Amino acid sequence: MPIRNLLHDLQDLGFATSIRESDWLFPTIETVHVLALVLVVGSIMMVDLRLLGVAYKRRPLSALIAEVLPWTWSTFAVAAVAGSLMFSSKAVTYYDSVAFRIKMVCLLLAGLNMLCFHFFTYRNVANWDPDRHPLGAKIAGAISLTLWIAIVASGRWIGFTTT
Amino acid sequence: MIASFCDWLSATALSITFQETSWFVPLVQTVHILAIAIVLTSVAMLSFRLIVMSSETLEQGLSTDWIPWVWSALVVLLITGVLLTITEPSRELLNLVFRIKMLLVLVLASILMIVQVRVRSDKRYWTASATRQRAARLIGVTCLVLGACLVTAGRWIAYS
Repeated sequence: MPIRNLLHDLQDLGFATSIRESDWLFPTIETVHVLALVLVVGSIMMVDLRLLGVAYKRRPLSALIAEVLPWTWSTFAVAAVAGSLMFSSKAVTYYDSVAFRIKMVCLLLAGLNMLCFHFFTYRNVANWDPDRHPLGAKIAGAISLTLWIAIVASGRWIGFTTT
Repeated sequence: MIASFCDWLSATALSITFQETSWFVPLVQTVHILAIAIVLTSVAMLSFRLIVMSSETLEQGLSTDWIPWVWSALVVLLITGVLLTITEPSRELLNLVFRIKMLLVLVLASILMIVQVRVRSDKRYWTASATRQRAARLIGVTCLVLGACLVTAGRWIAYS
């Protein structure tokens, strides 16, 4: 199967082999991944909880998003790079992992949800009642929160099933 | 003494139930990570405000609206942490990295408490003078470093 051959070739590359066989390299990259991920998840949870009207109600939504979004994007980039390095070290194992596939699907859906929110729902934010967000915004927040909880859970599941 | 306590705790019915329930540890760890996410992001937001004082901060004083959520998340962390310790007492209580992590939590919480108390009495406390602004920047950098060390220690418990 072509993709499995590609993945075998990937994990046989020098840097991938070094990550896999080193006592400290994989744990270090994983730590960077976790550190970046908690900042991504935390920043997104803040916005989602605000959209749902549950938390952070003292700050206007637009101000919260403006303050949080740089953190979200920059730490997501770090998490993605670290995650890619980890993936490369055991590409076939992760590819075969149900937990990994669930995590990737949830990431994709979370990204699509965010795009829909920003390009459709959020466009009319100037007209929103600050104390009661429209249903579309709350749905986007609930979907996002659910997906990111699933991403964290499946990420933990990967750790339990691929050691 | 701690080793004996760990042996006793791991033999209790509650600990054995947790150990033998396959989904328990992953579920509790997931909640633990979500609470860490709230704490760390709140600390990062506050630290950034301390380090880079915007014109709004300089004019109106430091806002600490992130901090109350840290306390709520710390309670969740305490509960989930206790559950994980009951499940695997030796892994936590006999582990040097775990003890370092607990020390880091105490130091970080203490610093946040000091920042919050000062702001409650005077919103402009940390912006009132050049000296206090420098102290605020130092506190911000310290909190960022402590937060990063906390997550690192948490991850390295599994490897130590």
